[in-house]
Amino acid sequence: MLLGLLSVLFLLPLIVTFTNSFMGEIEIALNYSGKLSLFDLAEGISSAFIKLKLIPAEATLKQYKSVLISDPTFLVLLSNSIKLTVPVVIGNIIVSALASYGFILWKFKYKEIIFYIYITIMLMPMQAVLVPNFIAAGKLGIQESYLAIILPGVFSPFGTFLLRQNMKSIPKSYLESAEIDGASHMSVFINIVLPQMKSGIAALAMLTFIEYWNIVEQAIIFIKDYTKEPLSVYLSRIAEGRISIIFAASCVYMAIPLWTLVFGREDLERGIEMSGVK
Amino acid sequence: MSDYFIKLKARSAGLGFLLPSLLGISIFFIWPFASTIKYALYDKPIGGSFAGLNNFVELMGNPAYRLGLKNTLIFMAFSIPLNMALALSSALVLKNSAHRKLFTLIFLVPMVIPSGSTAFFWQKMFAKNGFLNGLLYSIGLSRINWLDSEYAMAVIVIIFAWKNIGYNMILFLSGLASIPKEHYESAHVDGAGRLRVFLHITMPGLAPTFVIIFIMNVINSFKVFKEVYLLTGSHPNESIYLLQHFMNNMFNSLNYPRLGAASILVAAVAGIAAIIFVKMERQV
Repeated sequence: MLLGLLSVLFLLPLIVTFTNSFMGEIEIALNYSGKLSLFDLAEGISSAFIKLKLIPAEATLKQYKSVLISDPTFLVLLSNSIKLTVPVVIGNIIVSALASYGFILWKFKYKEIIFYIYITIMLMPMQAVLVPNFIAAGKLGIQESYLAIILPGVFSPFGTFLLRQNMKSIPKSYLESAEIDGASHMSVFINIVLPQMKSGIAALAMLTFIEYWNIVEQAIIFIKDYTKEPLSVYLSRIAEGRISIIFAASCVYMAIPLWTLVFGREDLERGIEMSGVK
Repeated sequence: MSDYFIKLKARSAGLGFLLPSLLGISIFFIWPFASTIKYALYDKPIGGSFAGLNNFVELMGNPAYRLGLKNTLIFMAFSIPLNMALALSSALVLKNSAHRKLFTLIFLVPMVIPSGSTAFFWQKMFAKNGFLNGLLYSIGLSRINWLDSEYAMAVIVIIFAWKNIGYNMILFLSGLASIPKEHYESAHVDGAGRLRVFLHITMPGLAPTFVIIFIMNVINSFKVFKEVYLLTGSHPNESIYLLQHFMNNMFNSLNYPRLGAASILVAAVAGIAAIIFVKMERQV
């Protein structure tokens, strides 16, 4: 019972955003602009506060209609987020899967030192990595394009780290028996290794997706054109301008990662474990 | 002779797989990092003269930098113990619970929801005329300027804890699971009470995991910038002006030497963390 209450409280931001997405424009203005209305004055209320209403007085789908159909702005921004996130997820998985297998296959005295460099880069917070990325983008002439964000993401060492951790659970006998049969490394990779890495790849996909769907620091630095901003940054700027659609916009925006959570909770958990303590 | 080449080919097969990643890392991380170091050691981005550690010294004296650094450290000092304590408690409670899957799901929701989706909610919650103040007002207390005073630090600590408890809890659950059951069983046989079990079996068993989680938290602390930026924009209240706010200003002025110095300092901290991380990984 208590736990139930705590859970509701915990999920309040989600719940409010969801229920309020069905509120009509006028009701939102009444509740959220924090300005005194005639009703307030009539009741002798002299200070206006924002009311956080859970249940709309009048439920309507107008917000969603606005967001998804009548108003193109949101869809453009949504596609910006997609254009940033999807290439990173796909690219990173490919590069990291190949690299993790490479680390197993490569017989080189100093390969652990190289892996250690990977870990070091992986642990760098944005503040340490952003400047080198910025410099590289400048030298490659891509500072204005999404590539400045996508390419470092594709080559992020976290993926390689995670998948190599995942590889540890593949029995060596699998790999060796295929080699003895004379199969080429690439076919061993595709036919034996990849299927074994399914859950690791799923975890990596989820973690990478969540991270880039929510990108902020890089977006501020590299994207100067408002129309090219991803939703992660744009939604916070809405403020007074378009509060009438913000709830629906937020819901659509968060629906996608939530969807993956519903289906991929186990993979996500495993991914988190592998990245830290296993 | 051909034997040697056959062996070389076999050995370099791995290298082939590794090549895209190695190239990418070199181009986007290692090479520009070397450039960053070079910029940090010169006084001007182009055509300057060698400045040694001047930039670093100047940085330390820069009041904006010190403010950003101070606030970042204050944030960590509050946030990390809070997050780890909350996550550990939750993990201990949920460890053997039937509802574990459900609550893990619930706790993961904030992490999965992008910060932008709930930014509006938090803004309206903590605004000067926001919902929370409305509650305070209705019970006769005076309003608090949540987002534009020292209370702002409390706000971001809370929001960040909300976001990260799921992540930390999973790490703790995993660490707890690796403590051999026999230890608990023998303690039970010896009649040890809950607190003793916790102090003498759980905590020592958790030790290397604990350090790893601590490091992950230190590194992840920098991510709070997302919430701060989305809540208060580029120019927040003094008490939540973070390192990244400082660096953003320098990006706009293209002050490479200072940027370089600032980022290298952060990198140095991360480098130390990496050493400890690897050491602890081996012990888990």
